[in-house]
Amino acid sequence: MTQRPFLGWLVSPAVLLALGLAAAMAAILQYSVRAYVPGSLDVGGLTFENFTTLLRPFYLWAFWNTILLCLMTATFTLILAYPVAYALVRVNNKALKSFILIASITPLFLGEVVRTYSWMIVLGNNGFINSVLMSLGIIDSPLQMMFTTSGVVAALVHVTMPIMVIMLTAGLSHIDRNYEKAAESLGAGPIRCFMTVTLPLSMPGVVAGFSTAFAWTFSAFATPQLIGGGKVNTVSTLVYQLGFASFNFPFAASLSFAGLVMTFAVLALMKRAMRPIERLGEQ
Amino acid sequence: MSSFPMRKHPLKLVGILLVTVILGFVMLPAVVVTITAFNDKAILAFPPQSYSLRWFARSLAYDDFRKGFWNGLIVTAWASTLALAIGTGFALALHRYSFSLKSTLEGLLLSPLVIPHFTIGLGLLILSAQLTVGRGFPLVILAHVILVLPFVLRSVFISLQNLDGRLEMAASSLGASPGRVLFTVTLPLLVPGLVSGWLFAAILSFNEFTATLFVSNQAAQTLPVAMYNYVREYADPTLAALSVIYIVVTALLLTLANLFFGLGKILNVDAH
Amino acid sequence: MLTLTDTGLVEPASQSLSTARPAVQLDGVTKRFGNATALHEAWLKIVPGEFMTLLGPSGCGKTTLLNLIAGFLDADGGEIFIDGTLVTETPAHQREIGIVFQNYALFPHMTVANNIAYGLKTRGIEAGEIRRRVEEALALVKLTGFDDRKPRQLSGGQQQRVALARALVIRPKVLLLDEPFSALDKNLRASMQLELKEIQQRLGVTTIFVTHDQAEALSMSERIAVMSAGRIHQIAGPQDVYRRPQDRFVASFIGDASVLSGRLVAVTETAAQVAVGPLTVEVPGAPLAGLAAGADVDLFVRPEHLVLVDQDATGPALNGIVKNQVFQGGHVDLYLELADHAAEPVLLRSSGAHSSSKFRSGDIVHVRPASMDLIAFPKQDG
Repeated sequence: MTQRPFLGWLVSPAVLLALGLAAAMAAILQYSVRAYVPGSLDVGGLTFENFTTLLRPFYLWAFWNTILLCLMTATFTLILAYPVAYALVRVNNKALKSFILIASITPLFLGEVVRTYSWMIVLGNNGFINSVLMSLGIIDSPLQMMFTTSGVVAALVHVTMPIMVIMLTAGLSHIDRNYEKAAESLGAGPIRCFMTVTLPLSMPGVVAGFSTAFAWTFSAFATPQLIGGGKVNTVSTLVYQLGFASFNFPFAASLSFAGLVMTFAVLALMKRAMRPIERLGEQ
Repeated sequence: MSSFPMRKHPLKLVGILLVTVILGFVMLPAVVVTITAFNDKAILAFPPQSYSLRWFARSLAYDDFRKGFWNGLIVTAWASTLALAIGTGFALALHRYSFSLKSTLEGLLLSPLVIPHFTIGLGLLILSAQLTVGRGFPLVILAHVILVLPFVLRSVFISLQNLDGRLEMAASSLGASPGRVLFTVTLPLLVPGLVSGWLFAAILSFNEFTATLFVSNQAAQTLPVAMYNYVREYADPTLAALSVIYIVVTALLLTLANLFFGLGKILNVDAH
Repeated sequence: MLTLTDTGLVEPASQSLSTARPAVQLDGVTKRFGNATALHEAWLKIVPGEFMTLLGPSGCGKTTLLNLIAGFLDADGGEIFIDGTLVTETPAHQREIGIVFQNYALFPHMTVANNIAYGLKTRGIEAGEIRRRVEEALALVKLTGFDDRKPRQLSGGQQQRVALARALVIRPKVLLLDEPFSALDKNLRASMQLELKEIQQRLGVTTIFVTHDQAEALSMSERIAVMSAGRIHQIAGPQDVYRRPQDRFVASFIGDASVLSGRLVAVTETAAQVAVGPLTVEVPGAPLAGLAAGADVDLFVRPEHLVLVDQDATGPALNGIVKNQVFQGGHVDLYLELADHAAEPVLLRSSGAHSSSKFRSGDIVHVRPASMDLIAFPKQDG
């Protein structure tokens, strides 16, 4: 089509928005190479000091911790979401299907704060799990789950479950049932059929879900902040503390920038590493 | 005559059990928070000794929550509507035309899916400081539009792909101008996609927290930010009561959306 | 292992078809989905090596029947035997059945060779033997050398050959074909049909073929089970299904047939006389048994059995008005209005040599059913 009626009208608002986003990212890049002036919101001259500070063990450790946290969360989420997605695709009963769908994706729409608060009540020393275990006489003193990495991971898995379920279900529902029937007719039992046909064909959904869970976990702030309680440092909590506790925006910017680079690097790496796996599911 | 599904039972049973346990994990916090909300005491304990509705009353009366709720509505209405308008236009252009920098623009607008929210918040915060416009509603709304646009874009784009292009051709062969085709054929057929996209954007915007924390000030504080500030200061079940209201309203909205549009279709998880 | 001959369930051989133990036997198999009965007490015996077709319009239950035999659905009643063994409760993967799906369902993530080897691997056959049998199967379907291709690199016809090879390589007890030709274009379809039939006969594998295409069914099958609304209406050879339909549905579903209104003159067990206007024709008696003389009946006439007669020819004839004339290449279809004798225009097929442009609409012609293969059924209300 050579005529493109309304192209300008359709695209220019989006261009403006994209420019705004690009400007915000440019602002981060610009601040990250400026000097911090203690006690002032203004910034000083050009410097690379922020990035050399990033190489200190404390920050390297925080980065490494964040990556581990993201990988753990994405892995556990994948393991828990797969059976749910599989059930969603396989269950024929409409009411049951709707129930599973709504139960598993409602958390997506509750927001980080409500979900994190709920997990604080579940995991706290006077919380649900400890109260139940103590009243059953299984433990004498409360298990420490708040302010631990495991507690943060449990809550984060809960945060990323819905999106993983959605992506896996999308992937699974596009697999023709006849592939499984064909495998069965050729003598494959349910487990073999799953391992050799269903799982490989669902790999595009798995890769998409895993990457998204990773990115979401990296982005999470309220969960590591409230459940980690300062004991679990992630890039997001450090950026917030630097910005709003010490007003060191240049360093917060450099940390954000490094985090952004790292996110894209890890996602690109993951995509590369998973390409042979993903190719399994090409149709 | 007998019924035979027995033969698939062993594995099926394991599967049913597994899914039940996982759904239990997913729903546990909501259940626990609900029990907590009805606890009469200010200190959390299980099971509660006595029950009352007083935390509900307090959560509804708490000034910061009331103000946050209205602020949230204002931000959500603006952000999701703007995102819908911008996203629909752009999705139409993406679907139909090729133009320079098309993929760059698409990539940039979809990037908030993977850019951490705190980064977007910080970036906008610094940008506003550089432009000396300060924090407040416009900045919060801008942040929200940027964050929810990818979801609107996806929803509208999927609807466009499912739209039969021959209908538009038929309309223009009958003499309709491009504008007439757009407003009498294309947009009416897109309505389900537009509504679901808007709804999705509204729910996400109303719940957005991290970026909002960076770009809002006291006057433009939304409900999630108010809740975050509350939980940092108080430990009583007021927030639990509010969370219950939140969960119930959200589940109701989702059930309605499921009834009217089919969530499976909105989320693109249905095969058919 | 329970065999039918042991249990005495097999009747003493009365015709050649039932001498051997059936390769597939359905005893009153019923399947319901909710309140809807998708298959109503299907009884069917398929002889080893036979090519049996399940024919019917969509929704008639043929695919349900196929899925029941394959083990993808559980029957709500009745029993299924394969090769004399009761398999009603046997899961699909233990039934040793080869299936060619409508869309072939070739595993997209595996090569051609791995697709064909899949069923052999599940049987734990050793690698050398697998390689040998895969090569053999590829040769059978004329695809030697295609081992390492992916399904998406193959044409539709080639994909179907691979699907056939994959189903046959496991030496199945029964081969099920689920509308395998519907995705192929017309020319390819004809050659694939011939090839499939040739392979089937060479291997002597019992085959159940599901289709809604009657031409396909008539040309390929040894016997056809005509189905509609969850019931098997008739099981017979292609000739019999066409010439001696058992009921109205079969008569109108297989081939073209026009319906003339007639009146029963007399009926015995073997034959009946039916009057249509001034004509009296003889039809089989069985479908009209129990009807009193004078009852309204519908006479089914094939288009090629309606003949034009000259006005001055001897014997009575029906007067018709030409409504429409359609040139079909090898023949001409004439649509005639037979005022009092047929509610719908009646179709007459004349060979092309028989002057293609002789008639104009409005012309009056005289026709008579040739008295062969006519059949009548009691008049249906509504």
